[in-house]
Amino acid sequence: MLMSATVRRPPLAVVLVALVILALGETAGAAMSRLKPEIQRYAAARVAANPGAHGFSGSAEYDDEVRERAIFTAEAGLSFFHLHGEGVGLVLFFASALVAALVPGQRARGALYLLLTLGGLFPLGYLAYGAAALELGRDAGIELAERWILSPLGVSAIAGLAGLWLALARRRA
Amino acid sequence: MTEPDAPTWRVPPRWVLLVAVLSIVAAEVGGGSMARYKVELTRWAREGMLARPGVHGLVGVRDVDERILDEALVKFDAGLRLFHMHAEGMGLVIIATSMVAATVIRHAAARRAIIALLTTGGAGYPVGYLVWSALIPSHGLERAKTLAEWLIWVPFGSATIVALWCLAGTVAWSMLARRRA
Repeated sequence: MLMSATVRRPPLAVVLVALVILALGETAGAAMSRLKPEIQRYAAARVAANPGAHGFSGSAEYDDEVRERAIFTAEAGLSFFHLHGEGVGLVLFFASALVAALVPGQRARGALYLLLTLGGLFPLGYLAYGAAALELGRDAGIELAERWILSPLGVSAIAGLAGLWLALARRRA
Repeated sequence: MTEPDAPTWRVPPRWVLLVAVLSIVAAEVGGGSMARYKVELTRWAREGMLARPGVHGLVGVRDVDERILDEALVKFDAGLRLFHMHAEGMGLVIIATSMVAATVIRHAAARRAIIALLTTGGAGYPVGYLVWSALIPSHGLERAKTLAEWLIWVPFGSATIVALWCLAGTVAWSMLARRRA
């Protein structure tokens, strides 16, 4: 094992968020594979518990279609969570490692860590997306997750990465 | 570049980095091969399935058999794609997490154990998708999936998940300890 004397690392809190998001992403992947029937049963039960939110009409054919679309959306939310958890966890890790190593100024680093860490929570929006689709109805649930969770956290990630880019560009100049 | 007393990274053992880079290289080669040899791979899988009609439930009626073969070929292709995607991702996960483990875990035996789990789990898990694809022609969809699941996905995937949560716990513990000190 070699000791690096030259490369600074980000604060442990940032590293912890990246690790937890990665671990949650992996765990969700395993759950999707091993617990698919249980997840589908749970989703069907939650849809049945919220008939008004899903606009059930009493027509079996229509209601079945609505139920299937809601369950599909919940499963898609879990699948997006798995995919984004793995990807965004790594983005947070490597971007914050670059910030620690290359961005001068404690305040600038602090601001970038904050933006990137909030952006690192972006995948959690997909868990909310799946859950809200079951509780509030498909369209209302997606709207809620996109507007109040995915968009702000996504903007934070983009702002953090843009800030890192600017800091690196200024450093070169 | 570093300020005095700034916390720094420790680099994980070289074998870990070699395994991680090899995983990424294998993923890239897999992705390239999928595109370059798509026809040959599909032909190989199709011939393998036609040679074992009983395994795949082929009945000799073209309309029925083609549907079964198409479904199996879609899964065969999906296995190759998932190998490509997971091997690339897990190679990066190995580099990131083993660097954290090398930096944060002070107890040598625990550090070695976590790094070994992260590396073997991370590199082994994606191979399950290759094995799944390779076994589809000879063992059928369900049997191939069961074999890949119990021989590779469950043990290697569990190793990665357990090691990741242990590592996250260690980082949290380390933060608390520093705050108390």
